[in-house]
Amino acid sequence: MTFILRMAYRELRASWRRLLFFFCCVAIGVGGIVALRSLVQNVRTALAAEARGLTAGDVYVRTDQPWSDEVRGLIEARAAEVPAVELTETVDTVTMARLPAGIRTKVVEVRGVEPAFPFYGRFTLESGSAYSSALLRDRGALVGRELLPQLGVSVGDEILIGDEAFTIRDAIVTEPGRQLGGFSLGPRVLIARDALAETGLIGFGSRAERQLLLRVPEEAIEPLVRILRDDLQEAFVRVGSYRRTENRIERNFSRAENYLSLIGFVIVILGGIGVWSVTRVFVQQRLRSAAILKCLGATTAGVLAVYVVQVALLGFGGALLGIAVAWGVLAAVPDSLAAQAASTTGFQVVSTSLTPSATLQGLAVGLLVSLLFALVPLLDTRHAKPLLLLRQGEALDVLPRDPVRIAATALVGLGLVAVASWQAASLEVGAWVAGGFIGVAGALHLLGRALVRMTRPLESARWFPLRHAALNLRRPGNQTRVVLLAVGLGSFFIIGVHAVQANLLASFSLELRDDMPDMFLIDVQQDQADGVKGMLRDAGVGGPDGAEAPVLLPVLRARVTAVNGPRTSIEGRRAVRRAGFGREYTVTYRERLEENERIVAGEFWDASPAGSPEVSIEDSLMERGMRLGDTVRFDVLGRAVEARVTSVRAVDWDDSRSGGFMFLFRPGTFDGAPHTYISFLRGPAEPDARGALQRNLVDRYPNVSVIDGLEIIRTFRRVLDYVTLAVSVVGAIALLTGGLILVGSVAMTKFQRLFDAAVFKTLGANTRLIAVMYVFEYGVLGTLAGLVGSIGALALTWALTRQVLDVPWTPAPAINVGGVLVTAVVVLVVGVASSVDVLRRKPLLTLRAE
Amino acid sequence: MIELRGVSKTVQSGDRALTILHPLDLSVPAGQSLSIVGPSGSGKSTLLGLIAGLDTPSTGRILIGGTDITVLDEDQLARLRGARIGFVFQFFHLIPSLTALENVMVPLEIAGVGDVSATARRLLADVGLTDRGHHYPSQLSGGEQQRVAIARALANDPPILLADEPTGNLDSTNGRHVIELLVDVNRRRGTTLMLVTHDRELAGCTDVTLSMRDGRTERAATPDAALEPAGAAAV
Repeated sequence: MTFILRMAYRELRASWRRLLFFFCCVAIGVGGIVALRSLVQNVRTALAAEARGLTAGDVYVRTDQPWSDEVRGLIEARAAEVPAVELTETVDTVTMARLPAGIRTKVVEVRGVEPAFPFYGRFTLESGSAYSSALLRDRGALVGRELLPQLGVSVGDEILIGDEAFTIRDAIVTEPGRQLGGFSLGPRVLIARDALAETGLIGFGSRAERQLLLRVPEEAIEPLVRILRDDLQEAFVRVGSYRRTENRIERNFSRAENYLSLIGFVIVILGGIGVWSVTRVFVQQRLRSAAILKCLGATTAGVLAVYVVQVALLGFGGALLGIAVAWGVLAAVPDSLAAQAASTTGFQVVSTSLTPSATLQGLAVGLLVSLLFALVPLLDTRHAKPLLLLRQGEALDVLPRDPVRIAATALVGLGLVAVASWQAASLEVGAWVAGGFIGVAGALHLLGRALVRMTRPLESARWFPLRHAALNLRRPGNQTRVVLLAVGLGSFFIIGVHAVQANLLASFSLELRDDMPDMFLIDVQQDQADGVKGMLRDAGVGGPDGAEAPVLLPVLRARVTAVNGPRTSIEGRRAVRRAGFGREYTVTYRERLEENERIVAGEFWDASPAGSPEVSIEDSLMERGMRLGDTVRFDVLGRAVEARVTSVRAVDWDDSRSGGFMFLFRPGTFDGAPHTYISFLRGPAEPDARGALQRNLVDRYPNVSVIDGLEIIRTFRRVLDYVTLAVSVVGAIALLTGGLILVGSVAMTKFQRLFDAAVFKTLGANTRLIAVMYVFEYGVLGTLAGLVGSIGALALTWALTRQVLDVPWTPAPAINVGGVLVTAVVVLVVGVASSVDVLRRKPLLTLRAE
Repeated sequence: MIELRGVSKTVQSGDRALTILHPLDLSVPAGQSLSIVGPSGSGKSTLLGLIAGLDTPSTGRILIGGTDITVLDEDQLARLRGARIGFVFQFFHLIPSLTALENVMVPLEIAGVGDVSATARRLLADVGLTDRGHHYPSQLSGGEQQRVAIARALANDPPILLADEPTGNLDSTNGRHVIELLVDVNRRRGTTLMLVTHDRELAGCTDVTLSMRDGRTERAATPDAALEPAGAAAV
């Protein structure tokens, strides 16, 4: 053992510079894993600690319909059976906030609360004072702090919600009971529940979520949730507890952590390829030393152990360096960004320190991947026969079909699946990722071989540098395979990511065509429809697609309660929910199809009124078991409506000009039933005119919400920018790793080139000629690597856009060609720059050393 | 005592078998020195490699101190070499990443001997390189490298020392120095010395000289030596 450790130390002492790339390759991947995992774990810890605060109560019962006396009575009766129970109600709705004077308006999320709210969690107010329900008394309001600059108001000013004026008493920094990750239409406005009732916003058909929060003793939580779920299974309510929130957070964050770690794992794998390439050449150079050791009495296992220990030490060192890098990266996260992230998630403190579990995982993955990727090349030391020492210069080749090597390769493959599964916390995902990676690497490898074969004609070129550059690509012990694989993979990622991004942006700008709507009106009441139409006409606002008059679409909110037919029988709320029809649908009726609709089954009705109710369904509903000819029973505002499915429509959801509806009814079905209207508009282009229109509409009809699509588009663009940045960072790290592998490969094969150059010089070649040869060699190599990456990226882009993102695929030739050129130049520059000392070295020095 | 009984070596060359060493019997008593001479390709190095267990004979048995090494596996052979055979190469074959001292220490460490440093220093002193222990092979001359190689070969005090063209890569001064060292080892330590050489001076310093040509022994050049009829030598 002493011998093994001493030899490992001495060898490392002599060769650490050459193995530095090994070190860096491992460090980058481990750094990625540790930083990503730590970050997610920190956020998760912060959130899980406040799970009760997220719910603001122990048990919740939510509904988006007004409480019926029966349901409300049942809940209160069940609650009364629990000792020491407390109950409070909240109501949430989306509406417009505006100023008594001035033209600014803003969509806000209003929450009406009672004095007992919240049972758990704390408000943080900008003034630093403590929250008290007294702040909401006498038309008081607390507002999200972002609303203040948006409306140009400050604490003490008044805002109008519906018809009522509220005084802003303070600004909210963080609040309990705000769901995470949900899409927010606007800043929070917190008012008293009874005051909300007086605004007139919670009228018929308006979108509002009512919630009953209960505080109950810990042991009573689960029994109460169970019993309420049983009691209310046929009512349109959701029952849950803070533990459900806690579990959901745990699940979501575990998933996020594991998927992010997989990204880190992919980087580690790239690093692993670097490890493999460095080890391969290193072992070739060490075979003679291994033979000497055997000649001096060392066993095969002993010699192998010397090199395994070296790899383990390097892997460990690289992993430590990676942890240091992760620490540095997290420490460098600006406080402002951390604060922004905290306020987005609703929490004050999110630590940016490394977590012990992420650190340990990083160490283990670094060590494992190093050993796995180095194992196969290291096995070649077994073939270092001491007899070879008697035959100077004899090639130290290994058997082409060495069973141990094949077994070890299989073991490495299984090991990779195991590590990937561990990182993804799922055997299936791990197998897919590792298998996908092996598949991609294999495909790129085959592509590279085919491309190299195509350079064969150059081997008979008459010009010396070109001919030898081509020969060098296929000489024994060449770096072509490794560079093509590593750099090809790097450019594959980068080109692929940019091409996907370009496709996404292209599809997005398609969405933003001039004739697309950019303003939406919701909750227009029946008696307001004509007035709203008139106002829009006066303001010169048209419908989308150049339509002259704005169209108000009648909508109702409906729930499926049963589906029956010759082959269908879905009865009861539970069965409906299980079949996937549980949500509330916004439905409409009309006598014609819109441009983004076409009939795929059945027959669409004509303009005549219906004898009996008929409905046309969107084709995806058929996947959940609804069929042509079935009778669907709906609950429309408490009224049961049965309609027969007479047609099935395909809807182009990308074309949002006329909206899209899962259920479209034949006119006549809802005659006399109360409903509201929505409208898709192209608002005025001028910001002032837009503001004025919003303001006038809301002034006249305070319950109507005017949602500015441009604002949503801006938010979406910002999110897309973040995603692009994140993906680009991953791509850049992949490229950096690819670059390191390239430098490593070039440096490791320098000895071969030193000798070749010395011989060429002795035979009369000058430095310039050899330099030109290298330029060709690396130029061709870089172009091939770029082509490998680019062709692979084309396939990736097509698959991702068409199969996953479901957006149109357009090739991005500029990105592909640019990618090939950049890769070629990078490889050329790195290759030639790494060979400068080869060019400068005196030939005799090299030949004597040989 | 080294004993070879009917040892031959045949290799495959393309699609035909090529015998590079014809069946040979040979006995070398303990403490004797023997040189093998002959033109290139006559099978000298092959014979030496077989005796060191670096290669396996196609036929016959090789006994080192009574142990048949042809039945040993790679690791058993490695242990045997570590304990009983020192080997000196024409191209020195020092480990380039180790200093001279560390190169000498390696066999001692493999054998698990204690206080390897002092032993290695003494061995270096014996070959006249007291002050060169911290130098790497690339910082030593050819003669110095070969002396380090001899010190390394003697590290575990093996009863047998094999040398393949030990002066083949050295100038005459360095070559003479190495010859003196090897002869001295044989005489002072009683180590059995068997070397392959083209160097007449070196061959003249051994008790017996065995000539080879085309894979066969020709004659043993000492008054006592007698060639056996089958082309074998009992020395």
